[in-house]
Amino acid sequence: MKKGSIFAPLLLIGLGGLFLARNMYPDLPLMEYLARYWPFVLILWGVLRLTEVLYWSATKQPLPARGVSGGEWVLVVMLCFFGASVHAVMGFSSWFPAAVNFGGLDIFGETYQYPVAAEKPASKAPLVVIESFRGNARITGGDTDTVKVTGHQSIRSMEQSTADQASKEAVFEITGDANRVVIRTNQDRARRPGRVSADLEITVPKGASLEAHGRDGDFDVHGVNGTVNIFSDRAGVRLENIGGATRLDLTRSEIVRAINLKGSLDVRGDGSDMDLENIDGVVTINGGYTGNVEYHNLTKPVHYVGPQTEFSAEAVLGEVRAPLGTFNATGLTGPVRLQTRNRDVQMSDLTNSVDIQILDRGDIELRPEKLPLGRMNVRTFSGNITLGMPKEAKFDLTASVARGEVVNEFGDPLKEEDYRRGGALKGSNGGPLVELRTEMGKITVRQAAPGEPPLELKRFGRGPQTSPKVLRPLLKSTVKDIQPIDQ
Amino acid sequence: MNTLVRAMCGPLLLTTLGALLAIDYAGQVSFSRTWPALLIVFGLCKLAERAGA
Repeated sequence: MKKGSIFAPLLLIGLGGLFLARNMYPDLPLMEYLARYWPFVLILWGVLRLTEVLYWSATKQPLPARGVSGGEWVLVVMLCFFGASVHAVMGFSSWFPAAVNFGGLDIFGETYQYPVAAEKPASKAPLVVIESFRGNARITGGDTDTVKVTGHQSIRSMEQSTADQASKEAVFEITGDANRVVIRTNQDRARRPGRVSADLEITVPKGASLEAHGRDGDFDVHGVNGTVNIFSDRAGVRLENIGGATRLDLTRSEIVRAINLKGSLDVRGDGSDMDLENIDGVVTINGGYTGNVEYHNLTKPVHYVGPQTEFSAEAVLGEVRAPLGTFNATGLTGPVRLQTRNRDVQMSDLTNSVDIQILDRGDIELRPEKLPLGRMNVRTFSGNITLGMPKEAKFDLTASVARGEVVNEFGDPLKEEDYRRGGALKGSNGGPLVELRTEMGKITVRQAAPGEPPLELKRFGRGPQTSPKVLRPLLKSTVKDIQPIDQ
Repeated sequence: MNTLVRAMCGPLLLTTLGALLAIDYAGQVSFSRTWPALLIVFGLCKLAERAGA
């Protein structure tokens, strides 16, 4: 008799049990369970098949040629498609278009809107809490002694009665006392929370602090003098004129924009774009931002830790622009530390010491315009280094290339030394230590004329074009030469 | 030995796929970032097959 898996009969029994339960208890949210937990069917399937294979092997029975047959893989693909679709339609997923509008009609139902309006007297500096929020909220501080909410809840549904029911389940409320006002949309109480969202305009006293817990949506906060804490799974956050410390804990974010913050800013989570401007407190960012990253006029220390890049500076009085593959900065106050894997780095108008390490590939172009120079330790594994210094600069410079060349366009006191495949450039006139090192590439030290324009932002893909065939043997022999930044 | 490894490869891949999707739905790490783990599991299976041959 041909041996078959026990998974198929178990799947049938499971499906039968589920539908039976649904018939016995009509309120059972079966589709919701399926939408949330269908990946566990794959896990169960795999574990059962694995157990079967091991059992057959242990009992010396003949093993199938493949643990999962071609037909089963087709079933797996169909299950994935079905599960992902249910997951998206039920509103749990944000990558799938939750509603495609066609002539005012959503493909997955229509959007029904229910107006929301409430207000509550508050003290001069209350804590305003927004709980488990999904949607967009605009919070504005003003000369008022009430917390006022207007807007609407949107519910996507196939029919009005279902939307009405969801609206009753997700009833809006504003509670608490004068010092702690809680805004609650109760969207999680609805049977399908993913289909309920809210667009709210919230006016709060100027001295208010804000604490928002969201699932998905945007927060715009303006003119609030207290602290701001936003925790969300997925949110775009725009902050302007905030007086207190700000903390953003976002799993994912399309954009974080903060302008005119008097206090510190602490951002955690991954995202795309980040734009920070005029911040008078310490800035700490922990997460990967893969889009357009810009900092302007950050007067206190900045510390960024991402999966590939770590950057810190005492202040960014100019700007930093760091789209993918590039790091362009001007007006940095040191000590400046940058460690990254694959980026072209350009810095001009630097003060104090600089420590740059590129662990893989990337060109470095430095133009410290202010004198006296600070200590410099600049290393790249593969790429060119160009250092432009004022004619009057004092330094004790050592530049070395393992494979490539050195070019002295500065003149005295620098002297070139040629090695078999590389070279070195050394010279001192009594200034701080300047060390430049590339394993493969070219080092140029030149005189920078006063008033040279800022270094132009390089775009990704214009780095050193090194053949992988040449790079491979070097990786083994010299990658240990580049040590991580000490801290 | 080789047959056993080959028979285990499919179930292992299936379990990994389910686990990655479950992790994604739990809001931990997106599947778009973790999918290379499937390649790694597949590669390890193939390596084990060759080692057992």
